[in-house]
Amino acid sequence: MKRIKISFLIAAVLLTSLTASCIPGQGQPASGWSGTAFRDGVIFVGTGDGRVIAINATSREEQWPNPYSFATEGSGGLACGPATVADAIYTTPVVNGGSVYVGTYSGQMHALSTATGARRWSYPENGNIGAVVGSPVVADETIYISTSDGRVYALYIGNGDVRWQDRLEWESEPLADKLWTSPTVIDDTLYVCTFDGHIYALSAETGELLDWAFELEAGFASSPVIYEETVYVGSFDNNLYAIGIGADEHRWRFQGGKWFWAAPLVHDGIVYAGSLDGRLYLVDAETGGKLGEFDAGSPIVSSPVIMDDLLIVADQSGDVYVFDLSSALQDRAMPLMSVQLDAKVESTFCVSEGLAYIRAEGKLYVVDVEKGWVAWELSLTAEE
Amino acid sequence: MLEIWYLIILNPILNVLVALSHILAGEFGLAIIALTVIVRLASWPLNKRQLKSTKALQDLQPKMQELQKKHGKNQQKLQQEMMKLYKEAGVNPLGCLWPMLVQFPIWIALYQSIMRALATTPENLLALHRHLYSWEVVRNAIPLSSRFLWLDLGSPDPYFILAIVVGGTMWVQQKMTQAPSADPRQQSTARMMTLMMPLMFGILTLMFPSGLALFWAVSNIIGIVTQYFVTGGWGYLKISSPFQSTAPTGK
Repeated sequence: MKRIKISFLIAAVLLTSLTASCIPGQGQPASGWSGTAFRDGVIFVGTGDGRVIAINATSREEQWPNPYSFATEGSGGLACGPATVADAIYTTPVVNGGSVYVGTYSGQMHALSTATGARRWSYPENGNIGAVVGSPVVADETIYISTSDGRVYALYIGNGDVRWQDRLEWESEPLADKLWTSPTVIDDTLYVCTFDGHIYALSAETGELLDWAFELEAGFASSPVIYEETVYVGSFDNNLYAIGIGADEHRWRFQGGKWFWAAPLVHDGIVYAGSLDGRLYLVDAETGGKLGEFDAGSPIVSSPVIMDDLLIVADQSGDVYVFDLSSALQDRAMPLMSVQLDAKVESTFCVSEGLAYIRAEGKLYVVDVEKGWVAWELSLTAEE
Repeated sequence: MLEIWYLIILNPILNVLVALSHILAGEFGLAIIALTVIVRLASWPLNKRQLKSTKALQDLQPKMQELQKKHGKNQQKLQQEMMKLYKEAGVNPLGCLWPMLVQFPIWIALYQSIMRALATTPENLLALHRHLYSWEVVRNAIPLSSRFLWLDLGSPDPYFILAIVVGGTMWVQQKMTQAPSADPRQQSTARMMTLMMPLMFGILTLMFPSGLALFWAVSNIIGIVTQYFVTGGWGYLKISSPFQSTAPTGK
């Protein structure tokens, strides 16, 4: 009898472990929303299954025979999932020289050859730093990465060696709980916006914190954009802020209906900012006055992009809008045309020679923005 | 249906949780504790009814055991006599079950709110805006910090402390209400359940984010305290054998 009881208890414990490991109670899993990069006729994009692929824009075929596949330890527990799972990629690949750089959610930065896709270096080579969500930026032979451990890393693009060795002492205080936005580099200074409402200025050379910092009660949701000595950044308090570098107070703030999640775009004195309330706002960069708005009807998650005199905006539901920037100001918020993709757009996208390369869920859409249609599309799922 | 669930239950709880976090110096752990206390207070009438029913059943135990001794071999007769006893005492044996079932959706919403508010992945953070009110206190609180004491509230406790607290408090709470039975088989099953539930929740604590485990621990502790005062003592916690005593011990 006692043996039966013990067996029953063990069975119950095992069953609990197995069931609990399969319950999707943690919300949506990290699956990534890598954007696209275009260089010399090749499109680079991170896929949902942990690969970075290169697609020849002319032949529409994958360029690398064996794209490197990033994997991380599975968290499915005893019953579910394999020992390793595909690593999520949120960063947009950065192409520089003969390398493409990409950060992964498991907390590594990788450099791949643009010609073959072969891995050149990884940082760290073994182990992990915090999850990389914000896209890295390259300046002066250095790649700057903000991570979920609240720190900013500077690596030499050639070999992945750490540039700010002093800043990497583990006892040094992180800048924030986590950093999920991209840093911006202007004139030897790196600007970082945090979820707890700080803007920090760091020396790009040494990583030292500079004298100026800015604090806000609400957290910053978007990556910062710098235009004429002013930081333009979206916040979780539904405001878009303009903050003069070196100032203690914001110059102006513009209130939307929801968060400004996507980084705004500033062009010819006008800020084009998409909000999660589904509207694209046109705001005077100097005064913060509203110049116009367009209601897309679905949250705008990715940043607007400019190509010649055209502004391209995609909303989350998959509608891509094209605006004419050469039109009169009162007409500028009216789209010239729109294209419907049959998938969610949450990634940043790039444009080149009349085409917009947009990753929407598991597909790459190439939109002809002058003709207003989808020129071609390609599944980003690996063929078995 | 899902929209109604969001509108009436999930969103209000989620927004109160986020607002509490801002009010309590940005400590999401304190917000979870405060909300658990608030929900417990709000459901006090139901809890009280449940505890009263439990107490009434405890008070009937001596008579129940007499009946089991008397009609133990005739199950049908025993059932009839037990039902008669419940009726005479004005006790519904399921009376302690209904209040628990009514509270169930609130506990589920609380669990979902904690998970959504923590927004452990970028997808979850992006999706959070759909559930938030435009209150200033809510806008200024996002995103929440998941650090509390030694815990990352979005990950399981690496030191097993919460697992021990959750399992231990659940065992105490169950033991307080687990009436002894004269029937050795029933007694054996009851013992097994008293052991199994805390064990299972202890294991779940090792697998789920510690924010949820914190909610379980606080909820159990409040349960023990209210049970102590409403039923007038530690109940059956001190009784090791059903034959040593037939009534719960007092304070």
